[in-house]
Amino acid sequence: MTDAPMREPTFLMLTALAEEPRHGYAVIEDVAAMTGGRVRLRAGTLYAALDRLRTEGLIEVDHEEVVQSRLRRYYRLTAAGERGLATETARLREQAAIAERRLRARHAEFGGAPA
Amino acid sequence: MTDCTAAKQGPGGHAKEGHSVTEMRYRRLLALYPRDFRQEYEEEMLAVLMTDDRRGPAQVLDVARAAVTVRFRLVAGAVQWRRAAWAVQLFGAIVLLSVALRRFLMPLTWSTSPFRLDAVDGTRVAGWAVVVVAALLGWRLLGFAGAAAGLAGEIASPARYYYDTPASVLHVYWIITAAAVVLIAGLVALRAGPRPRGWLAVVREPEVRRWMLAWAAPVLVTIPLVRAGFGAFIEHNMRHPESLRLIAPYQWVALVIVPVAAFVAVAVLNRRLEATRFRLARAGTN
Repeated sequence: MTDAPMREPTFLMLTALAEEPRHGYAVIEDVAAMTGGRVRLRAGTLYAALDRLRTEGLIEVDHEEVVQSRLRRYYRLTAAGERGLATETARLREQAAIAERRLRARHAEFGGAPA
Repeated sequence: MTDCTAAKQGPGGHAKEGHSVTEMRYRRLLALYPRDFRQEYEEEMLAVLMTDDRRGPAQVLDVARAAVTVRFRLVAGAVQWRRAAWAVQLFGAIVLLSVALRRFLMPLTWSTSPFRLDAVDGTRVAGWAVVVVAALLGWRLLGFAGAAAGLAGEIASPARYYYDTPASVLHVYWIITAAAVVLIAGLVALRAGPRPRGWLAVVREPEVRRWMLAWAAPVLVTIPLVRAGFGAFIEHNMRHPESLRLIAPYQWVALVIVPVAAFVAVAVLNRRLEATRFRLARAGTN
């Protein structure tokens, strides 16, 4: 795991798994719900990311089940994943706070009119 | 991937048949992934693909693009081989710099004539010195420029005498190969190397050592290659200076292909070993 900022799909996937263990399709649905349908992951992107996150030790398999003769594997966040998500959340919050401050100052200076 | 069969046929058996056709098509598409990845995720991915109602070219493109990403990650993304590449770049450049310095300074010890800077020798020394600095600072572009200059110097040096003594290229072929390896290793090496105290620690990691062996394989294989493959050629030229033979095109091909094949062979063995260990580790934790 590097200190580089996370890409949005990675951040959203970890956020989806922060709530509870989820299987692949449930992650897709939760990410879509969180973003109001703006981000709808597809199977290729999802599993390439899941495999990378497992290799990096950020997620792990929680349990497996077979539904309608199809394998369903649930993934959960690891302690390292929790730390990674917390770090990224703090970074985003800090940046959003800076942006918010500057926008407020801009509004105060120009009275809401474009510069 | 549009499920035309399912769309045209009615419910019941025909729909089921269409369903299995779609599944077969997806399985064919998933064949784009590496075997290990398929063993781990094929059934899950298939379940997601079959559940997802967004079928069509975008779905196919996403699966194909991800397959390329996974395959590329297997080669370029593995941290160990990139750490090994960094160690190879640094230690390889130190060795090449030592050899180049020795050749650069040797005339000073025995020649009585005034010192004259040889451009090729100077280029080699400067090139490898730059690579050492670039490896330590993690500057990839500078490392590439230095290694390119060093490699050009290593090729130019024997090339000057090639038509008089063709074997001159063969005697230093391990150096030319090492120079090419250092150049390529610098391109894939992790940008930031470990801190000074960690240099030797990197080499102590078993995975890194195995990948260093893969990087070293092309250089090591040149020694038996030249001895076994070019012994008769060198002897002929020594015995018959009046009818010198130049290196034939097929021999040049062998000089390039054998080191590349040596790297690929050791890299494939490493990959298999790593994949097996990874599978066993996952089986143990899950």
